[in-house]
Amino acid sequence: MGHEARSTGKPDDPGCATRPDDSSIGEARFREILDGIPGLVITAAATGELELFNLQVLEFFGKTPDELRDWTVGAIVYPDDLARLVEAFTLSMATGCPYDLEYRLRRFDGVYRWFHGRALPVRDPEGHILSWYFLLTDIEDRRRAESLLASENRLLEMVAGGNSISKILDELCGFVEATVTGSYCSVVLVDSTGTRLEHGAAPSLPSTFVTAIEGRPVNIESGPCAMAAYLNEQVISADLALETRWKEYEWCPMALAHGLRSCWSTPISSTIGKVLGAFAIYYTEPRIPTVEDQVLIAQFTHIASIAIERQQSQMSLSRALHELKTSEGRFRTTIDAIPGLVWSAGPDGNVDFLSQAWCDYTGVGLEGAGGSGWAKTLHPEDAERLTGYWASLLASGESGEFEARFRRFDGSCRWFLIRTLPLRDETGRIIRWYGLNTDIEDRKQADSLLAGEKRLLERVASGTPLGSILEDLCHFVEATVTSSYCSVLLVDPTRTHLQHAAGPSLPINFNASVDGLPLVVTSGPCATAVCLNEQVIAADITLDRRWAEYAWCPMALANGLRACWSTPISSTNGTVIGIFAIYYKEPRTPTSEDQALIGQFTHIASIAIERAQGEAALTRSEAFLAKAQQLSLTGSFSWRVATGEITWSEQAYRIFEFDPVRAVTLELIGSRVHPDDIPLMHDMVARAQAGKDFEYEHRLQMQDGSIKYLHMIAHGIVDEVGQMEYIGAVQDVTERRLSDQALSKVRSELAHVARVTSLGAMTASIAHEVNQPLFGIVNNASTCLRMLAADPPNIDGALETARRTLRDGNRASDVIKRLRALFKKTEAIAESVDLNEAAREVVALSLSDLQRNRVVLRSELASDLPPVIGDRVQLQQVILNLLRNASDAMSSVTDRPRQLVIRTEGDEGDRVRLTVQDTGVGLDSEAIDKLFQAFYTTKISGMGIGLSISRSIIEKHHGRLWAAPNTGPGATFSFSIPRGPGAVTGVDSLDTIRTPAAATEAAASWGTRNV
Amino acid sequence: MSRPSLVSLVDDDESVLESLPDLLKEFGFAVNAFSSAEEFLASGSVSATKCLILDIALPGMTGPDLQRELTLRRQEIPIVFITADEDETIRPRMLERGAVDCLFKPVSEATLLKALDRALCVN
Repeated sequence: MGHEARSTGKPDDPGCATRPDDSSIGEARFREILDGIPGLVITAAATGELELFNLQVLEFFGKTPDELRDWTVGAIVYPDDLARLVEAFTLSMATGCPYDLEYRLRRFDGVYRWFHGRALPVRDPEGHILSWYFLLTDIEDRRRAESLLASENRLLEMVAGGNSISKILDELCGFVEATVTGSYCSVVLVDSTGTRLEHGAAPSLPSTFVTAIEGRPVNIESGPCAMAAYLNEQVISADLALETRWKEYEWCPMALAHGLRSCWSTPISSTIGKVLGAFAIYYTEPRIPTVEDQVLIAQFTHIASIAIERQQSQMSLSRALHELKTSEGRFRTTIDAIPGLVWSAGPDGNVDFLSQAWCDYTGVGLEGAGGSGWAKTLHPEDAERLTGYWASLLASGESGEFEARFRRFDGSCRWFLIRTLPLRDETGRIIRWYGLNTDIEDRKQADSLLAGEKRLLERVASGTPLGSILEDLCHFVEATVTSSYCSVLLVDPTRTHLQHAAGPSLPINFNASVDGLPLVVTSGPCATAVCLNEQVIAADITLDRRWAEYAWCPMALANGLRACWSTPISSTNGTVIGIFAIYYKEPRTPTSEDQALIGQFTHIASIAIERAQGEAALTRSEAFLAKAQQLSLTGSFSWRVATGEITWSEQAYRIFEFDPVRAVTLELIGSRVHPDDIPLMHDMVARAQAGKDFEYEHRLQMQDGSIKYLHMIAHGIVDEVGQMEYIGAVQDVTERRLSDQALSKVRSELAHVARVTSLGAMTASIAHEVNQPLFGIVNNASTCLRMLAADPPNIDGALETARRTLRDGNRASDVIKRLRALFKKTEAIAESVDLNEAAREVVALSLSDLQRNRVVLRSELASDLPPVIGDRVQLQQVILNLLRNASDAMSSVTDRPRQLVIRTEGDEGDRVRLTVQDTGVGLDSEAIDKLFQAFYTTKISGMGIGLSISRSIIEKHHGRLWAAPNTGPGATFSFSIPRGPGAVTGVDSLDTIRTPAAATEAAASWGTRNV
Repeated sequence: MSRPSLVSLVDDDESVLESLPDLLKEFGFAVNAFSSAEEFLASGSVSATKCLILDIALPGMTGPDLQRELTLRRQEIPIVFITADEDETIRPRMLERGAVDCLFKPVSEATLLKALDRALCVN
C-alpha cells in the first residue's frame, strides 16, 4: 500500500529507486508522473506510514487518502488476505526488505480484485531507507484467465478421465467460487425428459437449498434456473428481496431463508443449442453481474457445457462400447457355448485367444496363459509330450489331436482331447491356429474303470486271493481319485464284526483299529453303513459327534484323517458284504462325480468279493463235501445203467476198500457183497433196470472176513440223451449198527440198574404197606387166641378178630399184587383206564412215603372224568414218578407247608389232564429245557431217567408231558392224553404201546427218584 | 391191679386201630385209641394215660412231635413207639429221646407186653 506523496514522486523503477530531487522535480510534476503510471502507486514514509496515492488508487478504491491510510481496517483488503499482507508489510518495514505478494483488494463497487503488490524501499546513498513505494498491479483478469485455463484443463482432464458428472461439476463450482470472490455456485441439469431439474453440483450451498431446487419443473415459474433453462436465456435477480417472480413456487423466500440475496442463472447449452442445464451464481448481497462477471459466466457455462456434453457423449460412448462389448459377448457366448475349451494362436504358435470356458476351467486368464503360458496348466507328466507335439505341428503345419491332462483351477486334473487346425490364407500360408480342447475325463475314467475292472476280474478269475485283489482296487481308486486313501472292509461270516480286507495306503494302526469293530451303528462310519445299508459321509471328522461311544473320530484324527465316506458293498441279492471307504486328509464332501466313481468302485468290489467268496465257498463246499463224506462214511456214486458206467467218489472206494484206480463194475461190487445178500443185489439191479429208485441195506464181506453194513439209496434221473442215470449215496452204517447194539445193551443194563435202584427205593414203601396189615393180622390172631382161651371163651370176639385177620390178610395181598403189577409186568396193554382210579391207587401206595416226607397231599379228582385208552400200569408209573419228584422237591423246604396237589380234569381237545403241583424248590427256565432229557438230574443220588421215560410213555399215549414253574413257590408237572375210546386207534398206536422195549423202559423208569 | 392202667394208642392205620385196642384190653389195660396226635391232645385222656403207644409216621403232627409237645406240657407219659418202617436207625434215635421202646410192626405179643411192663414200671 502506499499513500499520498507528500511532495515528491519517484519514477516507477523500484530497482533503482532513489530519493527524488525535490528541487529538480516539483510536486505537481511528481503527481503528474504518478498519475500517469498505468498502475496503482502508493508511497510511504520509512516508518511505513502511507503518504501519497496516485489517481488510479483513489479511483479504484473510491476512498479518500485518509480512509486509505487506515488500510488495515475497513473493507479495503479482502479479509482472508489481510493477515498475510500485514505480516509481510510489517516485516518489510522492520527489515527494509521488499515484499512481493498477491492479494485481493476491494474496488469502489465492492468487487474484490486480485492485485500483485510489490513494496520497494527508497534509500539514500548511505543506504538508509528514506521512503517506500508500493506498486499494485491488477492481476485479476490475468489470474482469471489462468484460473479459467487451469480449471478448463482440469475439468477437461476430468471429463476425459471418466470422472462422474457430479464430481466434475463440483470441481467446476469450486473453481468458480475460488475465482469469483464471495460467490456461491451451483449447476442444475435438465433431466433426460427435459421437464425437470436434477442435481448437478452445489458444493458450498446448503443442502436444504439444493434439495429445494431439485425436481422443480422446467418452466418460468418454478425458479430462476428453471426459467433460464426453459427460456434458454440468462435470468438475473439482483436482489431477491425485491424480486417478484417465481411467487407461485415461493422460490425467493426459500432462497432468502438460506441467506442468499442475488442470483444469476445462465443456461448451459450444447453445441447444437440444446439446453443441458443452468449455471447459477449466488451472493449473500444484492448484486448485478459486471462485464467481467458476464465474461466469466460465459466461460464457465462453456466449460460446463463441454463437461456435460462430453460426459454425455462419454456415456453414450461407453454405452456404445458396452453394446459393442455385448455384441462381442454374443460372439464369445457362441464360443463359450461350444462344449469345450476354445483357443487360437498365431502362426508362430503363441496363443492369443482363450475362451471364457478355458479361463474358467484353468483359473488362468489370457495374460497368464497367452503365448506359451498355457503349458503351465498341463499335468506335469503330459507337459513335455504335448509341447513337443505342438512344436512338431507348428513345424509341419498339420492338424493334430492329442490327449493330455489340464489342471483345473482347484488343482485337480482332467483329461482333454486337444484338436488343433491351421487356418491358411489363399496363398496357403498359415495365418492362425485354432484349437478345441474337449473334456474326456469321464470317458477316460470310464476307460480306466473298465480297464481296472477287467484287470481286477482277471485276477478274480485267476484265483488271486481276495485281499490282494482288494488292495489292487484300493491302489486303483487312489490313482483315480486324487489325494484319496482307500480301504475295503468285509462283514465277517457271523455278520457281527467288520474284517479288515485292504487299506494299502492307510496307517497300519488305523486298519488295526477298524478291524474287528462290532457291527453296531455306534462303532464307526463303516459299521453304521453296514447296519443301515446306506452311505455314511463324515465330511469333517473333527466336527462329527457320531461314534463317540467307540471314540472312532479321535482315532481317525490321530491317524491324520479328516473325512471319511463309507459306502456299503452289496451282493447281488442285496446283502451287505462289505464296505468301501474313501478317506481324505482334508474335510471333504463327495461331489456327484465322486459319487459316480464310488458307485463304480463299489460295484467292482462287490463283484470281486462275491466272486472270490463264491469261489471260496465252492472250494469250501467241495472240501466240506469230501470231508463230510469221510466223516459220515458216505460215498456217492453215479451209475449209467445202459453203459454200465459207474463213477465212485473217493469215499465210496474207501468203503468198499478198492484201489481208487480200479474201474468200478457190478462184478467188482458183487465180489464184496456178503454172500447172503447177493439176492438183494440182484433185486437192486433189476429195480434199476426198471427205472425205479431204490434203497437197500446189505452187508459186505471184506477180505479180512469182517462184516460191513451198508445203507444205499439212489435216485434215477434221465439225462439229456434220454439215458437213465442213478445218483446215489452209500453209507457205511457198520458203526451205527454196532453202536445201536451197544446202545441197546447199555439200555438194558441201565433198565436193570434203574429197576434195582427203584426196588431198593421202594423197599421202605413195600415194607410199610405190608407191615401195617401184618401187624393187624398178628394183633387179631393174638386177640383171637386169647378170646378163645378165656373162660368162658369169647366166641363172638374171636369170630370178629378172625374176620379182621382175614381182611388184613387180603389187604396185604392187595399190596403185594399192586407191587407185582408195577415191578413184574413187562407187556404194555391198551385198555380203558380210569385215570382217577389209577391215581388213587398210586396215591394209596405213596401215602406213607409222602407222610414220611411230611408232605400234605390233596386230591382234586374230577368226578366226571372220561376214561382214557392206554396202559394203566405205565400211566401209574408216570403218576408215581411225578408224585415222588414233587415230594423230593419239597424235602428241603422248611419255611412253608409241603403241599402237594394231584388234580385230574378234562382238557381241551377231548383230552384228560393230570396235574401234580408242589411247593418245592421250583424250576429255573434253564432246567425246564433239560428236565426231560435222559440222565439230567438235579439230585445227587438220582439216575436222571424218570422224567425222560415218563415223557416217552406219555408220548406213546399221543399225549404231552410238560413242566412249568408256579407263580408262587414250587412247580407243576402235567400230562394230557386223549380220552378214549377212539382216542388211541389203529394198529400202529397199539403197536407203539405194545413195543416191548417201551414197556421195558417204562418199567425201568418206575419209581426212580429222578428230577 | 384194682383199676386197670389207661393205655392210649395213636395210629392212623385202620388195621392197627381196630386190632391193637382189643389185644390191649385182653392184656387187662384200659385203652383209648386215636387216629391222630391232635385228636389225642384234644381228648381228656392225656393226664390219665399211663402209657402211650405212638405211631411214628402220623399225618400232621408226627409221633416225635407229640412226644416233644407232651414234654413241653410237662406231661411225661412213657411212650412206646411203633412203626411200620424197617429203618433200623430210627430205634436208637427214639430211645435217645426218652422213649421206653421203639417197636417195628408187626410186633409180637410178648415184645409188646415187655415194653408195656417197662413203661408202667417207670410210672
